[in-house]
Amino acid sequence: LLAPPSLQSQRAYKPGYTQDRVMEKDGRPNWDSPMQFVLACVSYAVGLGNVWRFPYLCQLHGGGGFLIPYLIMLLLEGLPLFYMELAIGQKMRLGSIGAWTSISPYLGGLGLASVVTSVYLCLYYNVINAWSFWYLFHSFQSVLPWAVCPINSNRTGPTEECEVATPTQYFFYRETLNISSSIEENGGIHTGQALCLVLAWAITYLFIVRGVKSTGKVVYFTATFPYLVLFIYLIRGVTLHGAINGLKYMFTPKMAELANPRAWINAATQIFFSLGLGFGSLIAFASYNQHNNNFQNQAIVVSLINSGTSIFASIVTFAIYGFKATLNYENCLDRMRLLLLNTFDLAEDAISMDSVLEWTEKLNTTYPEQFAQIADKVREGECNLEKELDTAVEGTGLAFIVYSEAIKNMPLPQLWSVLYFFMLLLLGMGSMLGNVTAIITPLRDFKIMSRMSNELFSGLVCVFCLLLGLGFTTTSGNYWFTIFNDYAATFSLLFIVLIEVIAVSYIYGIKRFEKDIEDMLGHRPNWYWKIMWAVTSPLLLIGLFIFYIINYIQGGTPTYQAWNKELVSSAFNIPDV
Amino acid sequence: MLEKILLLLSLSLSVAEGLCKPGVGEAYKVRFSIKTALGDQAYPWNKNEMFLFRAALAFAMRDFTNGEEFGVSDIHPCNETQRVSFWFVVTRPKTMDLVDKGTVEMAIKKSRNRINGAFLLTDKTLEFDGIYPTLAAPVSPDTPPWLIVFGVVMGAVSVGIIALLVYPLVQRKLKKNMDADDEDSDEETGVKTAENGANDGIYNSTFSDDERFTQM
Repeated sequence: LLAPPSLQSQRAYKPGYTQDRVMEKDGRPNWDSPMQFVLACVSYAVGLGNVWRFPYLCQLHGGGGFLIPYLIMLLLEGLPLFYMELAIGQKMRLGSIGAWTSISPYLGGLGLASVVTSVYLCLYYNVINAWSFWYLFHSFQSVLPWAVCPINSNRTGPTEECEVATPTQYFFYRETLNISSSIEENGGIHTGQALCLVLAWAITYLFIVRGVKSTGKVVYFTATFPYLVLFIYLIRGVTLHGAINGLKYMFTPKMAELANPRAWINAATQIFFSLGLGFGSLIAFASYNQHNNNFQNQAIVVSLINSGTSIFASIVTFAIYGFKATLNYENCLDRMRLLLLNTFDLAEDAISMDSVLEWTEKLNTTYPEQFAQIADKVREGECNLEKELDTAVEGTGLAFIVYSEAIKNMPLPQLWSVLYFFMLLLLGMGSMLGNVTAIITPLRDFKIMSRMSNELFSGLVCVFCLLLGLGFTTTSGNYWFTIFNDYAATFSLLFIVLIEVIAVSYIYGIKRFEKDIEDMLGHRPNWYWKIMWAVTSPLLLIGLFIFYIINYIQGGTPTYQAWNKELVSSAFNIPDV
Repeated sequence: MLEKILLLLSLSLSVAEGLCKPGVGEAYKVRFSIKTALGDQAYPWNKNEMFLFRAALAFAMRDFTNGEEFGVSDIHPCNETQRVSFWFVVTRPKTMDLVDKGTVEMAIKKSRNRINGAFLLTDKTLEFDGIYPTLAAPVSPDTPPWLIVFGVVMGAVSVGIIALLVYPLVQRKLKKNMDADDEDSDEETGVKTAENGANDGIYNSTFSDDERFTQM
């Protein structure tokens, strides 16, 4: 895998293609092999969104039926745009700013927009990795800290805040985030979080310090290990008690949902953001390719792997959901059973878990006055398996609260916890590699920056992002995080990619683009690609763009959900803007 | 004489039975969940177990009051149900005065573990209505364990970064030393390997055009 630089250009030399020799002499570093490039793209594209956004969308839009709009959007939008970005990068051999400036000097701003969006993303994305580190380090205890509530000062019971919420929510919002009650209230920095953030950036620096040489080695691990963990979790998940309920829930398609336009819009946006288009990372990665690297096959492979991983991850997630829902349902039944036993002083084995409901009826009719006393409690604690399964959660709520709640109930929870958070870390770190490369590559193309050494420049970028990112570790940090997560990249990316595809199809021209691809691959792209670039994808993107604008206008002042210490509600969802 | 004693005893017993009224006065309710706690190994509830309970409670009272001679007969249960729950009151030894709720509560709190142990039950499966168990104090280690793991990982990453930054500098130094040694031997053959000279454009005299001039 360690090929000395001189041999590489010889390998790429093909008789008749004298252009290669000239190209390699520009001194640009290269991936050691095409496999590294593919794994880097997979590592970048397969990220946390595949684990925590896709299962939620699946559940929201009718289970298995959601796959239909998802796959259609992959064909109409995902594949062509992915291919296009790779082609631009490989052809221009420059980062996003340089590449778009080469197409037209007026388009330099497009590259700059990509860089700025990547900076925003880098600022807040590594905070998620910091949280993953925090949970990972806290897994090395005999009792997981999110399994039980801490005891209050009188030692009479659990702390009040924890009693009203659940231990997992308490651990996330109080001990991990130490969250304040509103975005205006700001306490200090959470030292533990800050330390984990420093570690996250240190590891990011370690991975990118040597450019593609170091990144290329790292992606062998970050791209493949998460699959191993997902596979282990799949086996563990489907053998859990009650997992089958979740799987049945997922796979029964509710075809009526396909008529809902929201399903199609969500499918389009999910494909779009999941592939990481518009940040400039793909252009940056492809710019380190050999001139005739066969990126067409690679684009198809990476897109399919990305979608496949989403589906794979949602199978695992639904098995876990089913386990958690069944557990909660059975706990609820047990509480009912105890309530009935204690109120009516019946023998312990009179009511079993299965007969709770019929006994409730029986006792209601035979002892109506006594039952009336506990009627409120019975109504409040009504046990419903469907309701438990219906609680669709996405985002950090799914990853850090729902999953950790399921894990604490598994046998040998420390092992599963370590595996799970390690997987989250790899997914997050893999995506960070692409994000930071998207900032460094285009800036290094400028002559001013290239005078600085590689290591120093990368270090400066990391330190800059670290210092600004510390703002997310304050007590109101999670609210800022939500703002960035929901608004920083979504709208601008749509615009960026729309301009990209219009620029390539109409300003640069499909004919010139075709010729460039033929020059690189040896054959022209067929009619499918051309129609997508020229017609379908731009129309789709314009449609999405208009939809988002209408949504913003209709939505009024954006709101956020805050954690109020006194009135904690037990169903805390990250708002879906 | 014997009849008088018997009459007094039965009177006192009936008075005591009268003392224990569920939900009123100084009575406490206790609830056993034996099957939940022990499953297959559950023992049946019978008069012997009741005796054990009364003895355990008498012990608790003695322990708390530092020697006041409470006996089994001073604990009066009533209203036993199939749940295995019943009410009880405690009376002072020799007199028939009820012991107030507060004293009973503190006595039970003090000897809770012993009472639980006698029945192989826990705070959750042997409940006294209204008496909350004192939970064990949380164990807080000097260094939180997560900090230790963090230190290890951070140390490893720092070593990695330093190694990656220092390694090429070290390599360059070693190369310079090696070049200084090899220069003498290389100059004689006049050939430089590709690794050393790919970018320098070394003039290889073997293929030069000087012959044209020397043929004169």
